[in-house]
Amino acid sequence: RLSQVRGSRYNPSFLEPEVNKELYQKPWEELSEEEREKLEVKAVRPIKAAPPTVSSSVFSDPMISKFTNMMMKDGNKVLARSLMAQTLEAIKRKQLEKYHKAPEDEKETIECNPYIIFHQALKNCQPIIGLSSITKGGKTYQVPVPLKDNRKRFLAMKWLITECRENKNRRMLMPEKLSQELLQAFNNEGPIIKKKHVLHKMAEANRAYAHFRWW
Amino acid sequence: LRLMYTATAMQSKNVGASGPEKYTEAFIKKQIEEYNLGKRHLANMMGEDPETFTQEDIDRAIAYLFPSGLFDKQARPMMKHPTEIFPEQRKIQWGEDGRPFHFLFYTGKQSYYSLMHETYEKLLNVQKYQDQLTAQDHLPQKEKRNLAGSRWLTKIELEEMLLEKLSDDEYSRFIQLLQKLMMLPCGDIEEKYIQKFSKEVPVQLQKVVIEPLKYDERGVAFSTGEGTRKTARATAVVYDNGTGKITVNGIDVLHYFPVLQDREQLLFPFQFLDRVGKHDMVCTVSGGGRSAQAGAIRLASAKALRSFVTEKEVEFMRQAGLLTFDPRVKERKKPGQEGARRKFTWKKR
Repeated sequence: RLSQVRGSRYNPSFLEPEVNKELYQKPWEELSEEEREKLEVKAVRPIKAAPPTVSSSVFSDPMISKFTNMMMKDGNKVLARSLMAQTLEAIKRKQLEKYHKAPEDEKETIECNPYIIFHQALKNCQPIIGLSSITKGGKTYQVPVPLKDNRKRFLAMKWLITECRENKNRRMLMPEKLSQELLQAFNNEGPIIKKKHVLHKMAEANRAYAHFRWW
Repeated sequence: LRLMYTATAMQSKNVGASGPEKYTEAFIKKQIEEYNLGKRHLANMMGEDPETFTQEDIDRAIAYLFPSGLFDKQARPMMKHPTEIFPEQRKIQWGEDGRPFHFLFYTGKQSYYSLMHETYEKLLNVQKYQDQLTAQDHLPQKEKRNLAGSRWLTKIELEEMLLEKLSDDEYSRFIQLLQKLMMLPCGDIEEKYIQKFSKEVPVQLQKVVIEPLKYDERGVAFSTGEGTRKTARATAVVYDNGTGKITVNGIDVLHYFPVLQDREQLLFPFQFLDRVGKHDMVCTVSGGGRSAQAGAIRLASAKALRSFVTEKEVEFMRQAGLLTFDPRVKERKKPGQEGARRKFTWKKR
């Protein structure tokens, strides 16, 4: 069906840009059939401009940019970015402290890379199944429903941010609290993991209504 | 929701579909004769050869003889072939006794439905041929045709071809039928018929001309590029054999752009091509805000770097979105609303 775009300044025929350098360095022979087709289509169609948040350097990460945008208040990207940088620094410092104090045999198990910790913590926080309210026969039931990937990521990030904004002491700053929460999530403990387990238990309890879902 | 993107073609009315003809055939013929005669007179007046007087020469002559300062190009005096000025219109579709000529006249869209019938007939033919071949076990293997080089006619082009208004649904049904016809193994028989409804799409890269490198007094190669983003206008001059120094409006980049994100954007084209420390850049930028200026300089430097780099890498830059002008601008505020999208607080009474 032809559906007009919801108000984008670009013509609907424009494709998304691909910033990752490695994909362009692969020679023609190594590409699979689908990738070759995609390349051919890309050669003919115009491509949108890369947004200002995205860059091909090693430091730009789409998940981290998404999280920074969610942390941002009133469009203050400078502040959000600096908070994110301070959080990653705080994680690195805590891990290094642990590393230097640990005995020789445990040194290898301690993860020092803050990006890996961030990604793993987010993955641990993602719920697998969620609840959706469906009205049937006048009553509203909470029906367990499988979640899409985007929704899972969004929920994990939202829980993290709300947790850090509300349940902290007056004096504690955001980077410190965030780094604490991320490290706890990395080790599968802490309030956010608890929230995820609560959601799973609710879904399990409402199993009886699962047949109300029609999609 | 209303479209933000509208091509000028979409805004013009489909005159062909509005009603039966307002100009008779005899009238159009007379206009064509007058046009040809006038063309020869004009050629004589300008002192050129009447036989080889092209449309471009006519346009130049008219612009010289009747200079006009009007903004709208359509309002200026023009002399074009009558088929371009008087749009094609449907002839009257019924005879003197009132009986329509075409058997599908009472459907309302006779040309569209007759086209659908024709295409379906071709599909059935192909399927019959295919069944015959399978009976004899001569079925040819379908080779995957390259879809990237051609596109189907757009809805507007189809409307112009049929001289009838179409809805989105009808257009998509027609395209689906064409695709089904093309996908069949023996669809090559009807190749000619399908080619009437498809157009060639040239490779994007060939549209842009890359300028050659210029050399300044010291013998260093350099090239210039211009870029815009929102209201910011930037020009960048990229020099070869440099140390990676960037100067903006006479000020060092660290002082002009204190935010890390802007500096990342400036370095993006260089980092993408692995030429971070090899070029010097001097740019001037005005207008816009902090991020808009950074985006404008990024576009300008990417355009300048095209001259230093192979064609393949230019194609990679284009696919990474470095060479496209960003059309996003601030949306205008509408009357009856507080902002571009935000409505006033809804009060029940």
